[in-house]
Amino acid sequence: MKILVIEDEIEIASSIKSYLKSNDILCEMADDCETALEKIALYDYDCILLDLMLPDGDGFAILKELKKQNKSDGVIIISAKEALETKIEGFNLGADDYLTKPFHLSELLVRIQSLVRRKNFNGSNIITFNEIEIDTLAKSVKIKDKKIDCTKKEIDLLLFLIGNKNKVLSKSAIAEHLSGDMADMLDNHDFVYAHIKNLKKKLKESGSADYIKSVYGIGYKWEND
Amino acid sequence: MMFSLAVMLLGVPLFFFISQWLYLHEADEALAVQKDEFVRFYLPEIKEDEIAVFNKLGSDVQIEKNESGIVKDTMYERSVYNHMDKDNEPFRILKSPVTINNKPYVFLVKANLVDNYELAKSTLGIFTVIIVILLAGLFIITRRLSITLWKPFYQTLEQIEHFEIDKNSNPKLAPNDIEEFNRLNTALNKLAERNTLIYKSQKEFIENAAHELQTPIAIFKGKLETLLQRPDVTEEQFEILDKLNDTTTRLNRLNTNLLLLSKIESKQYNIPEKLVMNAVINQKMDFFQEQAMAKNISINTSLEPNIIVNANLFLTEVLVRNLFLNAINHNINNGSIIIVLDKNALTFSNTGDSRSLEADKLFERFSKVNPSSKGNGLGLSIIKRIADNNNWKLDYFFKDNLHTFEVRF
Repeated sequence: MKILVIEDEIEIASSIKSYLKSNDILCEMADDCETALEKIALYDYDCILLDLMLPDGDGFAILKELKKQNKSDGVIIISAKEALETKIEGFNLGADDYLTKPFHLSELLVRIQSLVRRKNFNGSNIITFNEIEIDTLAKSVKIKDKKIDCTKKEIDLLLFLIGNKNKVLSKSAIAEHLSGDMADMLDNHDFVYAHIKNLKKKLKESGSADYIKSVYGIGYKWEND
Repeated sequence: MMFSLAVMLLGVPLFFFISQWLYLHEADEALAVQKDEFVRFYLPEIKEDEIAVFNKLGSDVQIEKNESGIVKDTMYERSVYNHMDKDNEPFRILKSPVTINNKPYVFLVKANLVDNYELAKSTLGIFTVIIVILLAGLFIITRRLSITLWKPFYQTLEQIEHFEIDKNSNPKLAPNDIEEFNRLNTALNKLAERNTLIYKSQKEFIENAAHELQTPIAIFKGKLETLLQRPDVTEEQFEILDKLNDTTTRLNRLNTNLLLLSKIESKQYNIPEKLVMNAVINQKMDFFQEQAMAKNISINTSLEPNIIVNANLFLTEVLVRNLFLNAINHNINNGSIIIVLDKNALTFSNTGDSRSLEADKLFERFSKVNPSSKGNGLGLSIIKRIADNNNWKLDYFFKDNLHTFEVRF
């Protein structure tokens, strides 16, 4: 998978690149509008990460250009601007998702995966990991072809863990994913533990292997051993 | 007004006494002249046997035997019964020793005085009428004057009274005919303008600072997460990284709240709509029920359905969210939360610290009751701001070991 990261802050861009690299996502970088427009004209990307405040212009100009060229690349806006109007304008100009800075890289990764899944017409909505099968549209989980009873939150958590497989996830990253914009406001991330515990129990009861590993009792990792 | 009244009241007795003194003085002079006339023209001719006739002819002049031994002129006042008026009337009497036929006699001359009481009464009456007319005139004139003269001043006053620096509307003080008020208006206009400008730039500064901080926080967060992925991270290092992660979350929360505060003050969220309050609360219930469960807190609700308020949806959601967060974050393990909604108010009561909080400082920015808590002291001030925005009344009280926050619509 190849994506374009349009971001003028080199440190953010390099963090994104190094985090996504291990998930077989190739990142190309553009640190201003000009470079970005050049690359967009030349190549097709599975996904474009777009910062709105660029040194030589507004990120919205790139969205307009994409529309003009009839490109169907998926676009995720990554911006410090959190105003509702900015978000709405972004969506109206054809962006597919909006992530407010600062965000967890693990969150960015699952957003990219989800967007690519939606954009791929020939791709299916089924995600499989060994004996586990998740239907992202019907929101159901099957283990060894047997449907198991999971809440929406648990499926969400499962997708997040599998999407970030082999990555260490801090509780706050999981909390942010599960609670959206509320995560920042919470003093206590213990509810993550409760969700993980329930999910583990359900997977185990259905005969799945134990993929969720605790990391020093603080973080979690989805690992195929 | 008061001064003129005081002068008038002082003037009444003063006038009375002065006129009385003048009158007595005149009467005394007239009596003395009469006596001198008698002594000069009649005394040398009068015979002793003529005294009875003399006394009979004049009632105001008499000659008596000097029995009391008067040696010089004496003047005094006496009431004498008047047969005509059937009343006692005051008389001024002059007694003077004379010698008729080598025998001592007293020449007596008297003059009728105006009754003191009558004099006082009429003086008072006249003065009262004058005072009343004068006061009424003064009152009407000053009222008229103050209404027309002070009109621009009261207009200015009213505008200043309604001026709120955070409401984006400077007072519009129109120029008028009176120079002093014109100067006042110009000065006030300048003052308001300057303060609004300072207020705005300060608000912008907070907003910009919060905005600018987001990028470094994003970099920090990204680097931390990258570091977390290294396979050689030890448990000790992992713990440090986790703490740093929590700290960035807090930093970000502070930022988000500051931005939110400045946004509430701008007009961005001023558009109200009709909201079903219990729906707004119920929508958040699942999430917070889950949060409460982590501390084993029970949530009891008594929500009256179909309570409709006129408010901005986003801000109302933030208000409810912060009330929930406050009730959970400052709660104890195994505690409880009671939420009551009726047509007058929304109240959140929670168990917690067993002593009351300082109510007057509670809603100020960055006032932290418990210094060790992870809160940033902005949650309650955001609640207060939103309540103010909607003209709702926010109260805190501590009763039956429950901390209660009440929002009155």
